[in-house]
Amino acid sequence: MIIELGHFAVITALILAAVGIASPIVGLKRREAVWVEVGRQAVTLNFVLISIGMLAMEYSYLTQDYSVKYVYATSNSKLPIFYKVAGLWGGHEGSLLLWSWILSFFCMLAARIHWKTQPAVMPYLIAMQSTVMSGFLLLILFLSNPFERIFPIPLDGRDLNPLLQDPAMVMHPPFLYLGYVGLSIPFSFAMAALFSGRLGEEWIKATQRWTLMAWLCLTIGILMGGYWAYYELGWGGYWGWDPVENAAFMPWLVATAFLHSVMVQETRKMFKVWNLFLIILAFSLSLIGTFLVRSGILSSVHSFAADPGRGVFILGFLSFMLLLSFGTLIFRSAKLKSQIEMDSVISREAIFLFNNLFFLVAMVTVFIGTLYPLLTEALQFKKVSVGPPYYNTVFMPVALGLVFLMGIGPYIPWRKASIQSLKGLFLIPGLIALGGLAFFLIAGIRHSYALAGLTVVCFVAAVIFLDFAKLSVFWAKREQVSSLQGFLTAYKKNPRRLAGILTHIGVLVMIVGIIFSTIYQTEKVLIMKPGEETGLGAYRIKLIRLYGAEGVNWEGQEALFNVYKGETLLTQLRPQKRFYTVSQTPTTETAIHQIYTGHIFLTIPEVAPDGSWARVRALHNPLVLWVWYGGGIMGIGVILNILRGSRMKLSALHPEPALSEAPVSLPRPAREEVLHRSNRWQAFLNAVWPGRKEV
Amino acid sequence: MIKYWILIPVLLILFSSFSTAQTLTDDQLQVRVKEVAKTLRCAVCQSESVWESNAELAIQMRDIIRERLVQGQSPDEIRAYFVSRYGDFILLQPRTFVGMNWLLWGGPFLLLILGGTFLFRTLRKWVAQTAPPPPEDLSPLDERSRKRVEQALRSFESDK
Amino acid sequence: MAETKSPSVGIRSWQVVLLAVIFGLIVLFYKGLWGNPSYIPPVLVGTAAPEITAPDLYQPKEVSLSQFRGKVVVLNFWASWCQECKLEHQNLLAVQKHFAQNPNFVMLGVNYQDKEDLARQYLQEHGNNFNHIRDAKGRISIDYGVYGVPETFVIDQNGVIRHKLIGPIMGDNYTFLIEQMVEPLLNGTATAS
Repeated sequence: MIIELGHFAVITALILAAVGIASPIVGLKRREAVWVEVGRQAVTLNFVLISIGMLAMEYSYLTQDYSVKYVYATSNSKLPIFYKVAGLWGGHEGSLLLWSWILSFFCMLAARIHWKTQPAVMPYLIAMQSTVMSGFLLLILFLSNPFERIFPIPLDGRDLNPLLQDPAMVMHPPFLYLGYVGLSIPFSFAMAALFSGRLGEEWIKATQRWTLMAWLCLTIGILMGGYWAYYELGWGGYWGWDPVENAAFMPWLVATAFLHSVMVQETRKMFKVWNLFLIILAFSLSLIGTFLVRSGILSSVHSFAADPGRGVFILGFLSFMLLLSFGTLIFRSAKLKSQIEMDSVISREAIFLFNNLFFLVAMVTVFIGTLYPLLTEALQFKKVSVGPPYYNTVFMPVALGLVFLMGIGPYIPWRKASIQSLKGLFLIPGLIALGGLAFFLIAGIRHSYALAGLTVVCFVAAVIFLDFAKLSVFWAKREQVSSLQGFLTAYKKNPRRLAGILTHIGVLVMIVGIIFSTIYQTEKVLIMKPGEETGLGAYRIKLIRLYGAEGVNWEGQEALFNVYKGETLLTQLRPQKRFYTVSQTPTTETAIHQIYTGHIFLTIPEVAPDGSWARVRALHNPLVLWVWYGGGIMGIGVILNILRGSRMKLSALHPEPALSEAPVSLPRPAREEVLHRSNRWQAFLNAVWPGRKEV
Repeated sequence: MIKYWILIPVLLILFSSFSTAQTLTDDQLQVRVKEVAKTLRCAVCQSESVWESNAELAIQMRDIIRERLVQGQSPDEIRAYFVSRYGDFILLQPRTFVGMNWLLWGGPFLLLILGGTFLFRTLRKWVAQTAPPPPEDLSPLDERSRKRVEQALRSFESDK
Repeated sequence: MAETKSPSVGIRSWQVVLLAVIFGLIVLFYKGLWGNPSYIPPVLVGTAAPEITAPDLYQPKEVSLSQFRGKVVVLNFWASWCQECKLEHQNLLAVQKHFAQNPNFVMLGVNYQDKEDLARQYLQEHGNNFNHIRDAKGRISIDYGVYGVPETFVIDQNGVIRHKLIGPIMGDNYTFLIEQMVEPLLNGTATAS
């Protein structure tokens, strides 16, 4: 009964979504605000209704109602309660419901937050969001209904896929969806800007936190997925360039490009159409990703059951969205020209354009790689695979280019950089990087990408820390405090910039982790009998014994290993080979011992039934944790950026107008020159003037 | 007598170089197996390479790679063998200049070069269109303006 | 680059390119939807069948493919754990029965990634009227580029692989195998394809 209530609620939500499309349009046509208000109420009610749908599903999970087909397919009475709740997004239908629930939540939230401040945008926002919403609700209700019942009622469920029975995997899809769906808000704002022709900076200001939040969630989702792959799939890697991973990575790349490129619009009021293009592209890529994953068009570890009807519907919806958004962009953009003022090819705005170029090429690389098998099949009737070796060869140089730009971009002044200032900024870091290169060569690193990567990392790190040093010394001198406090003052003066730099530091840390855990990885796959041992780099592992083990919903074997360094016993590790009895699936459970920031990583993919031997995969992954530490630092940078104080937010938003209205009446050329000469000066101006204006 | 003494290290060196050429140590061999196996798709498990997969077939394919490496075949020869049996699908890294594959390999770099050139030219055009501020005004004003900014900063600080 | 092009009258080229890319993608996706992601075109058809030397499943003797030179060989890869193999098994028996009188026809099962006793048990349960060999180390199936079971190869009198059937021998596949492949080969009326 409860489940029918949920089903009914979601059906009503679809009707309300239609109202949400229609009534704001009517409101715009008749110029009556009440219609927009109706749309807003519809959107709010939609959130309530889809929540009821979600709760109804969760209720049947918790009451173990296996007459619901989807619950039957993804749960089991023996399943721990945590995974019972998470079973909802363990399959295609339920994860779509989660998707639309998040969409309805964000839509309601956006309508609430921006109702007063952005009244002109509201009709478009509500209509756009409701369009996306109805697409997903149609898909849920007609082609992938989680509320469907089966008869006769099965006694017990088929169990959640054991690979998904893992905390990281439980949180991975919600975060990814928060990211995908979060992008829909800036997208709707962009569409509103296009439709209304108001192409100013307002939509960017309003959506800045949305974009940052979406980016953060997407990043967390991707990193969690990586960590899950690392210890749950048991092959010792964290990124496999799987089509579904790529589907999440492409919107991430474009969203990152967008986050950088909007700064040009904020500061210099240029590239307006370009920014619209980027955010439309980012959201479109998350829809394309949804299509690729859900239609079964590409073979992938994640692919949900293929169903051409479903595929055709999603493709139809995708085509509609692509043509609507890019079509509007194409037909409106002729009228939306922004004034371009470019003083020099060597300026921050120019570097941002190159940054965008690299991000887009990176995205296109992933895109071509992902779709190439489809292309050859369509054109040559041939099947090919595009896997990690391809991406490692082609993507890495582009990524290195990006890292290099990351080192120079934030330090080159707006408008124009003089040769002198460039020398001052980059001469010493360049020398440090050369020194680093020599050092790595002597240290015996021969892999060309690793060498190039580490050299670039050295360069960027040197640039960043020199700048930090200069800043803190400057403020320490001014405020008569220690240099550490000087740094804090510098941070307080311009938290946005320094939080951004922190994110860049995170990227550096991550790259170091990736490089070292790849080139210094020691890996062994061998058959071991109890009592045997094998060397693993500087460590030794010894198989002590093999024995049976069992859990609530699985049985299997466990191996006991001793890990030695020299003659000292470091730890004992117990990897398992499990067999989940209900779903009849085997899994390998990894055992990991952390050494500094690296891992000793053991799995036993195969064990003899009589326990006389085991196939062992043993890895030593030095610095592998840096990958996630780096991710964490990136996350902290972005969180600081989201949370930065409102005064500073103001400062970041109106740097130039505030400047021109500043009480100090410098002649224009003089002000310009200050800007040209020193980047730091500009940071001060940004940080200080608006505050003054408020006083 | 002396001659024989000399011969021993020579023989040893010869022998050892022979043995490294013929029988790699197990660890070295495994590294080379890994190099090849990472570029081949596990035929039964769709998204994993032969190296990563724990499927029976992948283990057997690794054995074949190992055997052929010991026989002295090059990685390319081994890959060619698998392609002759399974088709191009087995390669995780499509061959470089076969059919449209140049698009896949060269496309990104081509795009980067073309895009970069285009961007650079456009930037130059924009710069040319933007009137530069008169340069002669700037240098003498430099110190003064700096001072004024400093002053403004200080007055702001005292406001607090 | 939206604004990088000089503004000119009418539609600018980036707009055309963008629209073309979008339409191209939609067409590609649409075509892709009707493809079968698990179908991989075979490469061995038309080439000499790799030689097989493998132990018989029942008797302690080696069977080699070359000993059947001059005969039409149907080579079926199967396993006791494979569900689809169960579906086709009766049809395989029927094929063998159909051609049993012809001395130039040989049906050979290759037991793939399996345990000897489980394979025998399977044949006992489901019936058996032709010979089987064991592929203990997977060499035969890798030599034949087998992606999964069941797969069936038709090899002609000259030892050339003439066809590969992916999936169970049922319905159309079954009639195709008997009428379009094996019979013409045995009668010498097959066209070189």
